[in-house]
Amino acid sequence: MGSSTSHLSKENVSEYQELTFLTKQEILLAYKRFMELYEDKKNPPDPRVSRVSLDKIVKLPELQSNPFRERICHVFSTSELKDGSLSFEDFLDLLSAFSDSATLEIKSHYAFRIFDFDDDGTLDRNDLEKLVNRLTGETDDTRLTKDEMGQLISNILEESDIDKDGTVNLSEFQHVISRSPDFVSSFKIVL
Amino acid sequence: MAFEPQRQGSSSNGYPGDQQSLRLRRVSTQVSNQNAPQFNWTSTPAEKDEKGSSGPRELRSIPMPMALKRAVRQVQQMQVPVVSSVDSWKRKKTRFLLKLKEDVTGFLVFFTPWRKSLQKIGGNFGGGVHSYFLFLRFLVVLNFVSFLLIAGFVLIPSIVFRSVGSGLVNSTAPENCTKYDPNPQGLVVFYTYLLDVLSGTGFMEYSYLFYGYYNNTVVEDSNFSYNIPLAYVFTAAFYFAFCLICITARMGTAARVAVATGGSTVGSYSMIVFTVWNYSCLGDGNTRLKQKNIHYRLQVDLEEERIKKQAAALTLRQKLFLYTLRVFMGVVAFGLIIGAFWCISLASNFSQQNSGKEGIQGLFFQYLPSIVITTANFVVPLLCDQIAVREQYAPSTTVIVALLRAVFLRLVSLAVLLFTLWSQITCYTNSEECKLCQYNYQKYPCWETRVGQEMYKLTLFDLLINIAVLVLVEFPRRIVVDHWSSKLAQWVGRQEFVVPSNVLGLVYGQTVVWTGALFCPLLPGINAIKFVILFYCKKVTLFYNCQPPLKTFRSTTSAFFFLVVLLFGWGLATLVMIYSLAAIHPSMACGPFRFFPSIWSIVPTSFYMLSKTSQEFLFFIGSQAFSVPLFVLSCVVMFYFIALCSVYGKNVALLRAQLKLEGRDKQFLVKQIAELSQKLQIPKHNEEIED
Repeated sequence: MGSSTSHLSKENVSEYQELTFLTKQEILLAYKRFMELYEDKKNPPDPRVSRVSLDKIVKLPELQSNPFRERICHVFSTSELKDGSLSFEDFLDLLSAFSDSATLEIKSHYAFRIFDFDDDGTLDRNDLEKLVNRLTGETDDTRLTKDEMGQLISNILEESDIDKDGTVNLSEFQHVISRSPDFVSSFKIVL
Repeated sequence: MAFEPQRQGSSSNGYPGDQQSLRLRRVSTQVSNQNAPQFNWTSTPAEKDEKGSSGPRELRSIPMPMALKRAVRQVQQMQVPVVSSVDSWKRKKTRFLLKLKEDVTGFLVFFTPWRKSLQKIGGNFGGGVHSYFLFLRFLVVLNFVSFLLIAGFVLIPSIVFRSVGSGLVNSTAPENCTKYDPNPQGLVVFYTYLLDVLSGTGFMEYSYLFYGYYNNTVVEDSNFSYNIPLAYVFTAAFYFAFCLICITARMGTAARVAVATGGSTVGSYSMIVFTVWNYSCLGDGNTRLKQKNIHYRLQVDLEEERIKKQAAALTLRQKLFLYTLRVFMGVVAFGLIIGAFWCISLASNFSQQNSGKEGIQGLFFQYLPSIVITTANFVVPLLCDQIAVREQYAPSTTVIVALLRAVFLRLVSLAVLLFTLWSQITCYTNSEECKLCQYNYQKYPCWETRVGQEMYKLTLFDLLINIAVLVLVEFPRRIVVDHWSSKLAQWVGRQEFVVPSNVLGLVYGQTVVWTGALFCPLLPGINAIKFVILFYCKKVTLFYNCQPPLKTFRSTTSAFFFLVVLLFGWGLATLVMIYSLAAIHPSMACGPFRFFPSIWSIVPTSFYMLSKTSQEFLFFIGSQAFSVPLFVLSCVVMFYFIALCSVYGKNVALLRAQLKLEGRDKQFLVKQIAELSQKLQIPKHNEEIED
């Protein structure tokens, strides 16, 4: 490893530069923020193994008020316990997908997985309803009425479900996303 | 996760992305991660290079966790030894160039001003406001570069060669035409200096700021010659051409995005729901506001759909009534606009007649045209908005119609002002005064400086009004709304940052600068400073006084629209410049062109002083023997691009239809599999028991 135990080594940083869309400054900043969250101050975290729990990650100011914060952590987590905890490499994957230079394909892929609340690979009516509720706010006075929700979901499925199986799969989702010019600039989190 | 090796034969298809799309469409209904990306472990890096994507870039684009990407890279590296030295050199070169490009962009990022501010604005207020600030930054950079151009070619040589050099021609003009004395006589009160700064008269009139100060110095040393009048004309012409190139280049990038996305329909619910959320939105308050906006927007769109269904069911009589109402309202709006023009023309004439008055009253008369234009541009769009409500168009059409009316009003009001000015200079109505010098020498001994002063006043007044509105209207409004909880205050609500009218203000300011650049060479520099001040003022008002916008203004089509409107302003300014260059006699009392019959005539004069070969070469370029083949060649190239364009369009339509068919095929096959598995259910069950 490098000269100091609290720094990433140069080979690691250049490897991360190759495997993600982040620049060197962004990787170092991410390491600094991750270290602030990591509990064990004495031993430096192993980038592949040491994990920060979900509750700590969602307290980051960039994620704190995002209604999708828990879904984001679940999607990027590679933990076997499926508890949404992130290692440093998961954290870098997260920032890479949300960075300025990530491609449309990566962003739409991860957006699809974030919106897929039941993790079954397609967006069915329940997923869409949960998505709309997160978008409008979960309190009673900000939800759409039952009729409006029904009308909205029928319209969505009519527009995007090409093979008419009642769900939106990844390629149909990407087809809709590719027509939006604003998606790439709004799917962004910068530390 | 399952990684299935692919059929090797699929790599010879024509479409670059088809391997990726085939991978994505392969879904197995039972596996939980059915949309996990499949990766072709057996394809070699050389094969990948043929498709034009080099190793490192494709690694990043794989949506898999880091550990798997590392494994992929190790596999790739193990497969490398099969390539020849030429290929490895090529790959090293591409990798080196990529790294160089990344380092350079990382370095250049430090030179783009206001990057962090723009990110924060985009995150909190959305795409429309963000595109306004991007447009403002573009204009600042454009003005600054133009100022450097003008300073380098006109201002600095003028300063350097002021005492050196001689005039080109001695004139035989009548003595009355050459009288020009801008310096004030005797003692002046000290506050006149402030008035002079605001109106460009007095000590500011005879300075490098205006056309009248420049001389027609021509420096001719043994190995160096510099012709200032010629430089002046060519710099002005090049400045216009440069601005045109910058705008069209920027429009090209915006247009490409707009065409690629195919022009999305307005009420597209899936687009809204999937793409509306902005992940860089910070803070609980902002998030709640954003959620409220989305809620409102969805409700409005659903409501609009219901109304549309009702409107489609109108009877013929109701439709006829609606159309006559629309025509009538259109006429009323047009009448309002014409009324505004008449007022501006009146004010302009009145101002010119009373321009000799002193003190505050004189200042008021000088600023009268600017005041009338600003008032008209404020009042008439408000009234047109009320008219638009009566017209009952769909909301999207209403926005476009209102914008077009506002653009028309702004640019043509400026044109009316200029026309009034010019008609007075060239004695359009009364030709007595212009017989001697071919322009009105009594009122305007140096008419170019006067025009420059008008443009300078318009620019300054625009900035002062913006600051005044900020301080006197927007801050108090926020304080009232926040601290006074009555119903009236809640109904008025916090300020909303209205993007279209702000953009029109920018376009108007830039058009004024373009019109005045020929007569006031330092105006682009002044405008750059003005726009920088405006940037910070608008940023402050955005963050302190405004709420996030209710109806989002789509950002890429809007970027294109802003540039189109800017181009209209450019066209107006070019017309004015051409007319001034070619048709009006320059003042004989001041300026670098005082001995020429028109500003443009210096070009033929200098042309004949060139060497014989240069003259012949330039004649050849202008002759038919050259221009006709050039024209034919450019037609051929244009037709080629049109054909290419239509082929790509047909390709896109074909692929879209293919996507639909594939979906139906998949559904059909799934049904078949379900039926077959039902038929085979009993034997299959037996097989499972045996396993």
